[in-house]
This record gives sequence, structure tokens and C-alpha cells, in this order.
Amino acid sequence: MKSNKKFTVLGIAAIVAALSLAGCGSKNNNASPSASPSESPSASTPAATESASAPASESTDNTVKLKGDFEIQYFVGGYGDKWWKKVIADFKAANPELNVKESGGPKINDQMKPRWIGGTPPDFVYIDGAGLNDRQMVEDGQLEDLTDWLKDAKNIDGDLITDILAQPAQQFDGKVYNIPLVLNSWGVFWNKALFKEKGWTEPTDFQSFLDVSDKIKASGMTPFIHTGKYPYYINGSILYPAIVSANNNDFTILQDMAANKVEAYESPAVLAALNKIVTLRDKGFIDKASIQINHTDSQMLFLQNKDAFIPNGLWLPNEMSKDIPQGFDFGFIPSVTQDAGGKVVANTSTATVAIAKNAKNKDAAKAFMQFIFSKAQASQWAELSGAPSNIKGDISSSNAPNFVKDAAKYLTDPNTVVIPTITYNADVDKAMMDATDALTISKITPEEWVKRVTDVVKKVGK
Amino acid sequence: MNSGTARWQRNVFIASFIIPTLVFFVVFTIYPVLQGLYYSFYDWSGMSNKKKFIGFDNFKEMFHDPIIWRAIGNDYFLVAGKVIGIMVIATFFAVALTRFGFKLAGFFRSIFFIPNVISVVVIGVLWNFIYNPQIGFLNAFLSLFTKEQVTITWLGFTEHTIWMLLPPAIWAGIGFYMILLIAAIQNVPASYYEAASIEGASQWKQFRNITMPLVWEQIKVSILNIMMTTLNGSFVIVWIMTEGGPDNSTQVMGSYLYQMAFRQYHFGYGASIGFVILVLSLITTIILQRLMRHEAVEMS
Repeated sequence: MKSNKKFTVLGIAAIVAALSLAGCGSKNNNASPSASPSESPSASTPAATESASAPASESTDNTVKLKGDFEIQYFVGGYGDKWWKKVIADFKAANPELNVKESGGPKINDQMKPRWIGGTPPDFVYIDGAGLNDRQMVEDGQLEDLTDWLKDAKNIDGDLITDILAQPAQQFDGKVYNIPLVLNSWGVFWNKALFKEKGWTEPTDFQSFLDVSDKIKASGMTPFIHTGKYPYYINGSILYPAIVSANNNDFTILQDMAANKVEAYESPAVLAALNKIVTLRDKGFIDKASIQINHTDSQMLFLQNKDAFIPNGLWLPNEMSKDIPQGFDFGFIPSVTQDAGGKVVANTSTATVAIAKNAKNKDAAKAFMQFIFSKAQASQWAELSGAPSNIKGDISSSNAPNFVKDAAKYLTDPNTVVIPTITYNADVDKAMMDATDALTISKITPEEWVKRVTDVVKKVGK
Repeated sequence: MNSGTARWQRNVFIASFIIPTLVFFVVFTIYPVLQGLYYSFYDWSGMSNKKKFIGFDNFKEMFHDPIIWRAIGNDYFLVAGKVIGIMVIATFFAVALTRFGFKLAGFFRSIFFIPNVISVVVIGVLWNFIYNPQIGFLNAFLSLFTKEQVTITWLGFTEHTIWMLLPPAIWAGIGFYMILLIAAIQNVPASYYEAASIEGASQWKQFRNITMPLVWEQIKVSILNIMMTTLNGSFVIVWIMTEGGPDNSTQVMGSYLYQMAFRQYHFGYGASIGFVILVLSLITTIILQRLMRHEAVEMS
């Protein structure tokens, strides 16, 4: 009897314990059933190399007819899906014989995961949102090497794609796998109306930022709030631009960091940047609530004028549009950590597009790239998604929202140092976020920040 | 009808109950456990079909990973805190609502059970608001007694933030175990208590010598159940409230598993954490069983 009972309890223990594993195991069980039945490998036949080297003029003339199935995966987040619906419809109209399949939605990255694991991915993928990481996809060999193709790929208007990109594609060991489509920027926001009312000067550099923060603090308001639960906001808006400023505006240091070069992390520029955060901390400028709150909470406090500055991305006005109080007027600067008279540093936040290595219809995928990287689509993107696109071109005459136009202005200004898209190794990224959080609550020193992060870098680089 | 067919029919009858259950158990429990174990021997991002067999490397790496040790520590902290907190309060409520026989017992029983009906996710969000340093209830309440506005960041201490997850976890758990104990106490024959009263035993003595020994089985099951659900289910409340932060100070095994498998793309490592959870659950169950069996013998 006793042993029976023991087994029952053990059994229950096993079942409950297994539940945590069940979630993992089931992830790839359904790889084969969900593999798209509509994919017919034989449909896409044209020799890949030919179309890769000389696609532009031909596809505009439609001399090479695109046929078969073509599947696009796109994540639907803050930018919505209006543009995707529109551009796909346009592309379909231009290629009537192509059977375009859309796989889009807010959960699409999870839904398509079994397909990527099972080796039957969609042809074209928009890399945005949780669950997709370009660096990881490259390391896993999931993405098509576009280096050679991109060298002389022309868009449907006959322009070289590399010529019209505002920011170049990120290189992984010298190779290109994905091309940035969206170009957004991190930075620091404030309420212009409030600053005007109180007679505070808007910050242009680190000293003026500190000066005005002193005044703000004296008035009883907390100068600075950030999103401690997701420290990539403060890293993206304060730390990385500060590192670049301290490195004589040379952003290659960040690229070296992303390439897991230990000496980049040990550079004095990193320490100098961390010490700027320490200055904010020690002067009591950072709202103590920051450490435990998420982005929505920090943004709400900012909109209620409880805090004067918030590091965030340019999507903030769009994201909070329903909660913006009357008379609130967004002021924005990409960075506040430069010396007086120094250049502003804009850390971009991009979302990219890529072609799957195991794509069945790479020709269609490349043709689609040539289709979307055009000036017409740039202003359409800005209009329909409320974010600047990564395609050069004047959008001032388009119907894009004003802050998008302002952002575009900043990002094209010759006096702005624009940091191109950089993806850190996920482990290193997490270590940097944890360490920055720990730094803001005085748990560690800047030197310990460097030590912690380099330890992870060394481990990852092995 | 001879006895042979009767036995055959009986066997068919029994099998018709056991086999479907067994099949489901194998498909949904045994198979995932084995598959989880299988993945724990691989270096796999969980994003592609590229997997590399690395033997026990994931487990070896765990020994050098300070976060996993902290996570295990936090897990057992929550187990201990919840077992003590929930059992003390649930037993107290159960005794109060049955033995003291006051009028509103039914009403209070429902009130105390309510947190149990609410999803843990909602509880997490709710308590996040309670703990919010700027607009939270707790600071507002404390501010009533102080001159200065209280601005404690309840979920942002440099150390020991895990303590703050204990109140919501206990609060959410009391109701169920209270009901369990109430049912047990109501099964105790009233004559025992009557006899004890006549002999002059105080309420405390009655509780110590009648109630406790007779509901010990339920208490034992409750403790085991709290332990198992905590080791396997703390993930939800941690993930909703802190995501393991700040600086990994509230990480539990479940949340760290998720972090590694889905945020940092170490699915194999995540699977090996899952296996550790399984092993630790089993070991803890056996140990607790032994400890409590010993005590039960003493009681009777």
C-alpha cells in the first residue's frame, strides 16, 4: 500500500515536471504536417544563377515571367500590415502567373518556426518582432547569401539597390544576408510644451542635458525615466550613442563589439560612456521606478509629465497615440551624450528582409526585393506604416506623419553620425542589458560592467 | 457462459479504461520527456534543422553557470516560503471556518477562494500594480503614515527581490488548500471534539491532538503538491512580474529555461534545464515523502 502511494505521488511529480518539457518537445513535432502542401518545388525552375546576375532589366520588361508559388512571411507589429497588403497586391498584379502566398500576423514568427526547423521555410522573410534574430538565422545557415547578387542588383526602376539604401546592409563575416527595409532611430524624447512653459532649454549635448536636468530636479520633477524591465531602451538610446561619441564618432567600435572582439569592449570609449550613465545615476536624475517597470508604464509616466526625459524609439508617438494628453508636444534628439559642438549620433533600429536559403522560388523572392526597394514603395511605406523607410528619397511631399518626416530629416543630415543596423550576439546582448540595469541601481561599477560582458564575449567567441 | 469468457470480458473492460489513458500518457508525457532529454544532449538553437551532438556538455556548462544556481536557490526559496506561508494560513483559515463555527463562514470561504479562480497571469499583473513605485497601492498606503511620499521600488532591489514574489504566490495558493483542509476537518467525527471538550481540552490542544493527526494525510498531499507546482510552475508569476530581472535576481529554473531556449537561442541548454527540473522534482518528492512519513508515524 505504502509503495503504491509512493508511486502515485512520484507519478504525479513526473507528470507535472514533464509539463515544462512538453512545451519544448512539441515545438517541432508538427514540422512535417504543417509543411505547406501548396509548395511545389517543380514550379520554380529558371536557373538561379542567370536571374541572379541579370535580373533587373529583364524583370521590369517581364521578359522573365515569374511562375509557381511564392510565399512571404511578415510579422505584423507596430508598423501594421497595410503596406504589406498593398505591396503584395501590386506585386501580384505585376506578376499574374505567380501564386503569391502571404503568411503574416503578430504570431507568425512562432507559427512558421516548425517550417524553418523542418527545412521548408517560406521564400521571403521580413525579420522583425520576437522570435526572429538575423544573426542567429545567419549562424544557423537559414538565409541566402546575397553578397554577390546585391553588388549589381537593380530595382524595378533600374536604380542600383545599394545606391538607394539609406543605410547599408549589415555584414556578417563580410557577407550580406539581409537588407534593412525600415529605418528608425533611438533617441531621447521630452515634452516641448512643458519645456517652453517652464523656460527650460532643450538639450543639444551632454552638458546642456545635465544643466537642464539640474533645473528640472530642482523644480521637483524627476529628469529621466527608462524601461528597466527591457534595458535595451537605455542601451540603444544612451549607451551605444555615448560609446560612439567617446570613440571620435567612429561607430566601427560597435561593429567590433557585435563581432565579439574583446578589445572593443575594453576600449576607454566604453568606460567613458558607462560613466555618463553613472553621472546620471549619481546626480539622482534617474527615476527610481525605472528598474522595475516595462515600456508602457515608463511611457505613461513620461506622458503624464512625471518625468522629463525618456529614452525611446521614434515609434513612441505612434505607439502611445491614444494616450497622449492634449497639448503634449514631442521633442526629440537622437543622442544627448555628445560633447558641446559634437555631432549628434543616431542609433538606428532597423527591420530587415531576407531570402531563405532553402527557398523554393528564389527568383520570385529576388524580384520581390527589386520591387520593394524602390522610391515609390519608400513613400508608400512611410505613409502606410508610419515609419521612415530605408530608401533614400524625399518623403516631405508624401502623406507620412510629421514626426516621420522629422526623423527622416535627422537621419539624412550630414551632421548626424548614423549608426547602421547592428545585431549583437543574443548572449552578449542579454549580458549588456543585465549589466546596465545593475549599473543604474549601483549594484556594479563600470569596470565590473566591462568584466561581466567581456566574460560572456570570451565564452561566446570560443 | 464459462469463467474463461467472463475473465476475458473483465480484462477487455479494464483495458478499455487503461489503454486510452496509457496512450495519452505516453504520447503527451513520456514521449516529450524523452524528447526533451534527447535535445538536452545537443547544441541546437531551436531555430533550424542544424543540431550538433555534444554529449553532456550542456549539463557540464550548468555547473559553471552562476544564474542556474541562483535560479535553483530561488526555486527552493519559493518552495519553502510557499509551503510555510500557504500551509500556515490555509490551516488557520480552515480551522477558523470549521471549528469556531461563526455565522459568516460560508461567505469567507468564498472570499478566500477567489484568488484561486483568477488566472496567475492576472494575479501577476495585479500585484505589479500593487508594487508599482509611482502609482502602486503599497507605496500609497505606506505614504499615509509618513511625511514624505514613499517611493520604494518593490521589484527593483539589488538583491532579494525574489522575496517580493512570495506574497502574490501565497495569496494565490491559499484558497485551494484551505478548501482541501476544510473538507478533511469536516470528516473528523464531531464526537472526538465533544469528548475532548468534556475532558477539558483547550481549542489548541484539540487542534494539536485531534485535528492535526487526522488531517495529516491532506496536509502531506498539500505540501507535496505545493512543492511540485512551485518547481514547475513558478515560471508564470516570475515571467509576468519581473521576467527574471532585475539582473537575474528573480530568475527561477522555469524562467531561465524560457530565457535560454527562446530568447538566447540555446534550445538544447533549455531542454537540459527542463531535465534538471524533472530530476529535482523527483528527488525533492522522495525526500519530502520520507520526512513526512516519519512524522506521521509519530503522530498516530
